[in-house]
This record gives sequence, C-alpha cells and structure tokens, in this order.
Amino acid sequence: MIPLLFAASVVIFTLLALQPGDPLDELRQQNPRITAEQLEQLRRAYGLDQPIYVRYFKWLGRALQGDFGQSRTYATPAAQIIFVERLPRTLILSGAALTLALLVAIPVGIFSAVRQYSRADYIITFFSFVGFSMPIFFLGILLLFLFAVWIPERVPWFPKFPVQSISDFQWSQVLSGEITFFQFIGDWAFKLVLPVLALSTIQMASWTRYMRASLLEVLNQDYVRTARAKGLSERVVLYKHALRNALIPIVTLVGLAIPGVFGGAVITETIFSYPGMGRAILDSLTDKDYNVAMAALAFLALLTAVFNLLADLMYAVVDPRIRYS
Amino acid sequence: MAAVATTSKSKSQSTWALAWRRFRRHKAAMFSLGVVIALVLMAIFAPWIAPYSPTAQPTGDNLADYYFQGPSWEHWLGTDELGRDVLSRIIYGARISLLVGFVAAIAAALLGTTLGVIAGYFSGRPLRFYMGPLAKVAGGWKPWPFALWRVASWLLLYTLLFLAADLAWTLSGANVQALFSGTFTLNNLLSLLGLALVWGVILLIGIWGLFGQGRLDLDVVISRFMDFMLTIPELPLLLVLSALLRDNQGVVGQWAQAVFGESASVFIIITIIVLFGWIGTGRLIRGAVLSLREQDFTTAAQALGAGEARIMFRHLVPNTLAPLIVNATLAIGGAILTEAALSFLGFGIQPPVATWGNMLTKAQEYIFTAPWLALAPGFMIFLTVLAFNYLGDGLRDALDPRSRL
Repeated sequence: MIPLLFAASVVIFTLLALQPGDPLDELRQQNPRITAEQLEQLRRAYGLDQPIYVRYFKWLGRALQGDFGQSRTYATPAAQIIFVERLPRTLILSGAALTLALLVAIPVGIFSAVRQYSRADYIITFFSFVGFSMPIFFLGILLLFLFAVWIPERVPWFPKFPVQSISDFQWSQVLSGEITFFQFIGDWAFKLVLPVLALSTIQMASWTRYMRASLLEVLNQDYVRTARAKGLSERVVLYKHALRNALIPIVTLVGLAIPGVFGGAVITETIFSYPGMGRAILDSLTDKDYNVAMAALAFLALLTAVFNLLADLMYAVVDPRIRYS
Repeated sequence: MAAVATTSKSKSQSTWALAWRRFRRHKAAMFSLGVVIALVLMAIFAPWIAPYSPTAQPTGDNLADYYFQGPSWEHWLGTDELGRDVLSRIIYGARISLLVGFVAAIAAALLGTTLGVIAGYFSGRPLRFYMGPLAKVAGGWKPWPFALWRVASWLLLYTLLFLAADLAWTLSGANVQALFSGTFTLNNLLSLLGLALVWGVILLIGIWGLFGQGRLDLDVVISRFMDFMLTIPELPLLLVLSALLRDNQGVVGQWAQAVFGESASVFIIITIIVLFGWIGTGRLIRGAVLSLREQDFTTAAQALGAGEARIMFRHLVPNTLAPLIVNATLAIGGAILTEAALSFLGFGIQPPVATWGNMLTKAQEYIFTAPWLALAPGFMIFLTVLAFNYLGDGLRDALDPRSRL
C-alpha cells in the first residue's frame, strides 16, 4: 500500500507541477510594473526555481508532518481549507446522499429481486436504468429549475428552494445564542434538500441494480433450494440464508464508494454552489492554487487505498469462508 | 478440409443468428437500437439537417432581439445567449458526442483487450528479458527471436557495465593523481573507497550476468498498474490531465493543434478518456483469459504448435467477445457521459465547437431567463446514454445469457 501511495503522490505532484501557466502569471497580470528581478525573487521564495523532484521531496517531508503549504488564493494553510473548512461540508452532503441512497435502494432491490419479472420489478428496473443513465448535471439543473424557479413561481405556498445550497448560519452563532439549534439544523437541512436529492437519486439507481443482481444470483443457488425443500418459511430462507450472502458484494462496494463520499461530488457541488471538497479541487485547478489541489488529491488517494484494504477486511468479516492467515 | 471449414462457418453464423433472435425479444433494446441509428444518421447528415450553422451569430441592428428567443417556428428550440440556433447546435453536438463515445470506447476496448490478454495469458510465466551466456536454459517459452534477444541483451548489459566502470574511473582521476603527487587527503581517500565500492558492484553484476536470468512478470506489472490507476481519484485526475494536454504551449497541445486544428480538444478528450477507460476491460479480459487458458482447447492449440500470439488472439480473444461487446457498448454511454461532464465543467471540448456538455455550462447561468437552453442538451445526453445502456443490456441477454447484472 505504501509504494502504491508513494507512486500515486509522485504522479499527482508531477502532473500538477507540469500544469500550463506559472502561478506567478496572475501576479504579472495584476501588477504590470513588476520587474523581472522581483519575479525571480518570488520564484525563489516559492521554490519554483528548483527541479520537480526536489520540490516533491520537500513537499513530502512537510506533508508527512501535516504541513501542506499555503493556499495562494485564501492566504491560509491549505490543510485548514481542505480538512477544517471543506471536508465537514462534503461529508454532510455526500454522506447524507449515500445513506439515503442505500436506505432506499437495498429494500427496493430486495423487493425487485424477490418479485422478479413482476410488473413492479419492470417498473423498478426501468427507473434504475433511467437513474443510471441520467447525467447528474442535467438532473441537478432540472431540480433547480423545478424547485427553485418553476413551481415556486406558480404555486404560492410552495417553499422556494435556494439556488445557493450553502447555509449562512455558523455553528458559532448557535453557541453564542444568536440562533437556536433548531434554526441552524433546519436551515442547513432545507438548503441541502436539492443537492442531496440529486446526488442520491443517481446513486440509488446503481445500488438498486447491484442489490437486485446480487440477491438474484444467490436465490438461484442450490442451498436456497435446499433450505426451501427443508420446509423453512420463505422469510427465513430470504433473510437468513439468501440475504446474508447477497449483502457480501454490497458491503465491498459500499467500502469502495466511501472514498468518493470524501472526495465530494465535483459536479453536484458546482451546480448547487456548495463549497465542499469537489469545488475546492475544481477551483484550485482553475486558480492554479496547487497546494490546495495537492492536499486534497493526496488525501483522496490515501483514503482510496485505506478503504480498498478495509473492504478486503470487511469481506473476511461478513464472509467466514475467507480467512487471512 | 473444406467441409470442416464450411460447418464451422455455418455454425458460427447460427450462433450470431441465435443471438439476434434473442436480442429481438428485448423490446427496450430494439427501441434503443433505433434511437442509436437515428442519432448516428443525424450526426452524419448534420450539415443537411441542421437549419442553421451551429456557430452562426446574427448580424445587423438590434442584436439583443435575437438573443434568448423562446422556441418558435424559425428556431424550434430557441436561440442561445449569442443568438445561435439551439437546434442546429444540438444536431452538430451529436457528432462530437457520438464520435467521442465510439472512438473512446473502441480504443479503450482494444487497449484493454490487448493488455488484459497479455496479463492473463502470461500470468505466472515471467518473461525472460535477460539470460546470461552460461545460464541453464530451462524448458518453456522459447520463441525464435529470443535467441537473438539473448545475445543482444547480453551485449547491452556488458556495454553498460563497461561505460559505468569507465565513468567511475574518469570521475576519480583527480584522486588517483593526488595519490602519486603526495597531496593525498581524507577526501581523496573517501572518493577512492567509493570508486572501489562501485567497481565491486560492477564486478558482482558482471559475474551474475554470466549465469543469471532477469525475469519480468508482465501480469504483475499490468495488474499493479491497474490497481494503481484505481487508487487515483478519477474525475480530478481527468481534469488535471485535460488542463495539461489542452495547453496550447505544451508539446501535446501544439501537436494536436497542428494535426486536428479546431477539433484538437476532441482528440485530447478522447485520449484521456481512453487512458482511464481501458482498465475495466483489462480486468474483465484478464479474468476471462485466466480461466480460458486452462481449458482443453488451449492445450490442443498448444499441442498443434500454435504460436503464443496465435493462441492469444485467435483462440482466447474470440472466446471473450461476448462480454467484450457488452462492455464496449456500455462504455460508449460512459464515455459520452464523461465527455459531457468534462465539457460542462469547462475542462473538456471548448467553445465555439458545440457539444451537449458545454452547451449546458452556459445554460445553467441563464436558468431563470431561458430554461429551454438547459433542457435540450441535457435531455439529449440522457437519451443517448440511456439508449446505449439498454443496448448493452439487450446485447448481454443475447450474447451472454448466463451472466446477469
């Protein structure tokens, strides 16, 4: 895992260092009177005069101590932007979306598999295909148009959902007694409705498909027939024999999906103007604020590697046939 | 002999005929096939179908009147923020989307198949890339170019060793001089010790080179590389790569600009989609080949003296065709979606070239004033991807009836 991470960080760092345009370009534009010497000084101060591998090892040394450098755009440490400011927001949005998606998709998938080829199954399969093929940016814009513009204009009592999904309320305001706890939660929840809905609808579709396929495969196996032949009730066969095995691949997939939760949804966050991790990555690339981009991407690579490992371990927990010696 | 050939041919035809019969039963897939054919025709004949040029802007007085027109008889889907006809842009956008989808999916399938077959077929059989002149030749893989490569690699290794020794000697020249001129210091001593160490290593490699063997497990290399690609967060990396390769000052950017002109970014987007897209196919094919190569027909082919390449591409690959076709069909939808997402974020195909993705970028800004701008391109992306997904589903039922997902 360590060599894999090392290689990943080398690749990401190199790609970011090779990005077109100097970070100093902007400075040059803002201040046309800046002299070549001053630029050279700044270049040396930022360490941009050194070769890439020297910069990489310097970055690695500092990053291992938790120092990811300064953000040029916000003039604060990159680690603070990513881990303190953006990460919690992204966890709320993507975590809520994944939870909602699983809570709906697993029962629906089970239902659909048990009633295979019924009318309900066809409808569920159709909708999962639709959700699966729906681009998130289209669904997002559609939801915005419907619930922030079209319906509120026509239905007076309908709540007008905001175009900007980030709440202005801060937790510190609750502590100082400016607003109540419920106002705080309510405002956040209200503003998160649309992005969570968009994100979870898309995810729901694939989880339903996975759950249905996984359960169908198990239901066709011999031991399920044996269990039925023994005269066990359908309930016991389904929940005790089939479902447990059908959930094994789902657990792995959930494990593999969790790094995505941290990574945030770049597109969803862009559409709903929600400043989370995904937006941080996108904005830092556009603004050439590479310390922030590097911190975020390195963190995501670490998470992906860790959760790959955890998914393997979880596999062993839920499936006693697998033993790691 | 001829009779055998005919029967095998008619048999393979009947397999496809059987698949077609199964495919026809899948109504949604048949409908999707119609949609895909219509889209392809629309893309091919875009210049004849489109009522206006996709980039034509109105000229004359009162330009503002031409902007943001709602749907009307002149402009079925209205006009955008520069007065361009949305329907024409949609029709031309189909060209880009389908081009990206087909080319990226086919290229990714070819790359993934090649690497997957190599990884699966040579799994557990390391490639001997070096073999010393005195090394014992064991049984196993000995194609004729290997004898040639054996001599060449041997010469190469010893040339490199000679150059390394020569360089070490040259670098230590001053220290050896100091030894004889009486100005010998601790620094000189350390340098000479370093020289001795380097020569010791060179000598050891030289001795190993006589008897030793260098092996390279292609499966380990390819599989590790696939694992590695899965560690890196995909969408951010696509953004980074896109910004890097589209750069007009960069090597790739300039080359693409020179070769492809205005559509350089189309080529670059296809490239980076392929860069990530082959991994799924690669894993699929590798897994299939791992089990196929243990089957009797492979042994039979080996016994008949078929070469490695022949076994891989004539015997193994055709047997993986069913999942490969299904996978590639679904990949077309995936590639179209990726292109649209990248273009939507401004990291894909750049305006003025009209693509469904970059039409949506602008449309989001005008969602309050001109919602129809967002509906048309978004719906087209959705419809196309849905059609390819259903097509893939139908193909899976038709070609690969055992597997179901």
